[in-house]
Amino acid sequence: MIWEVFRQEKSGDYHKHCGNVHAPDREMALLFAEVQHGRRKPTNSLWVTPQKEIGEVDTEDTAFGGTTDKSYRWAMTYNFEAAASEVEESESEQATADRERKAQIEGGS
Amino acid sequence: MDIEEVKQRAGPREFSPKDEMPEEYRKAATRMIQFHANSEIMGAYLEKPFIRQAPSLDRKLAFSAKVQDEIGHGQLLYRAAESLGIKTRDEMLDELAEGKGKFLNCFHYPMESYVETPMIAFFVDGAAMRRQATLKSTSWEPYAHAMDKVCFEEGFHVKHGEAILYELMTGSKKEQEMTQEAFEKWWPRIIQFFGPTNEKSTHHGFASEVGLKQMSNDDLRTAFLNAYIPKAEKYGLEIPDEPRISKNDDGTYEVVEEDLDWDEFFTIAKNDYEPGVGQINGRKAAQDAVEWVRESLDSHENRLYGSSQPQAAD
Ligand SMILES: [Fe+2]
Ligand SMILES: [Fe+2]
Repeated sequence: MIWEVFRQEKSGDYHKHCGNVHAPDREMALLFAEVQHGRRKPTNSLWVTPQKEIGEVDTEDTAFGGTTDKSYRWAMTYNFEAAASEVEESESEQATADRERKAQIEGGS
Repeated sequence: MDIEEVKQRAGPREFSPKDEMPEEYRKAATRMIQFHANSEIMGAYLEKPFIRQAPSLDRKLAFSAKVQDEIGHGQLLYRAAESLGIKTRDEMLDELAEGKGKFLNCFHYPMESYVETPMIAFFVDGAAMRRQATLKSTSWEPYAHAMDKVCFEEGFHVKHGEAILYELMTGSKKEQEMTQEAFEKWWPRIIQFFGPTNEKSTHHGFASEVGLKQMSNDDLRTAFLNAYIPKAEKYGLEIPDEPRISKNDDGTYEVVEEDLDWDEFFTIAKNDYEPGVGQINGRKAAQDAVEWVRESLDSHENRLYGSSQPQAAD
């Protein structure tokens, strides 16, 4: 049975997918994950879940965020100096996400 | 873990569902997150009519995206609250419908005219964002995680609100006057957004000792005023004479409390303020109308997986 493995670097972080292991049950999957994924990289916690329990939708099935122009939902569209630092921070996170999204669409998938 | 240990360890994202948290902590966190979640939902209902009433297609689209975001924030936050094991999401939604769930003062006031929308979308969202930015380092990890996504999205809300304010304040004389009037009506409510000064806030002490709350009401209010008074003035809004606000040498602000209507504020806090009751009942009607959807989803889930009660109270 295949188990997908998610590793959290430090407390409070998200668990991010880092690979999978082959194991007969959850306990052994955790043990193998520990050995294969938690040995060298900084690890605070690991999750394992049976691969067949994971649902997926990808760019072949859908156009994420749609294909119409939705610039109205981005902070960058509104050309004003940010009122406060937290607004500025949000805008720069959005700008980064938008840039990455566009690069991915242009680059094809 | 006992309360003493909680206070000692209290730091950003320190506690998660894996920790045995004392009931006092879990109850305080539930109260705070549920209040926050309720506010997101009630704010969304307040703005919903402006998807139709907004004067252009762009504005309608932006309002619809924003309202959708706010409902999403509510859902994220109910999940974060649910993870404390005190109340389920359904219980919290029912409490809101029954008038037992508490939420922000500003969302108890109906919004009648389009010129009022920047009062919420710029000033109230701005005030909320100030607070939310500090909550990225709250001690309950699922709450902090929810804030990552919420703050990511909020920048659009505030800037969209600012764009509307700019448009109105550079519009016709009539528009400018109506916007100034709306500002005068909303300004005291916006100041009260941060609640009374610390001494009167009953839950502040404990919530900050255990790291749930990261900044005092007074500091939040000061930070807000520092950023948003200049913006209001820039667009030609006149700050009303009352409440009297004075700036201290250290950059903090002093708001003369007697100039604000605290009777109204505390009536609102009890959900007894008449126009606010209308807002609550309006949302209840919407919740009742789609009860059949929840029922059919639940029975579908039960058929597939058995009982669907998520993390019910212990
Ligand atoms: Fe929100
Ligand atoms: Fe918002």
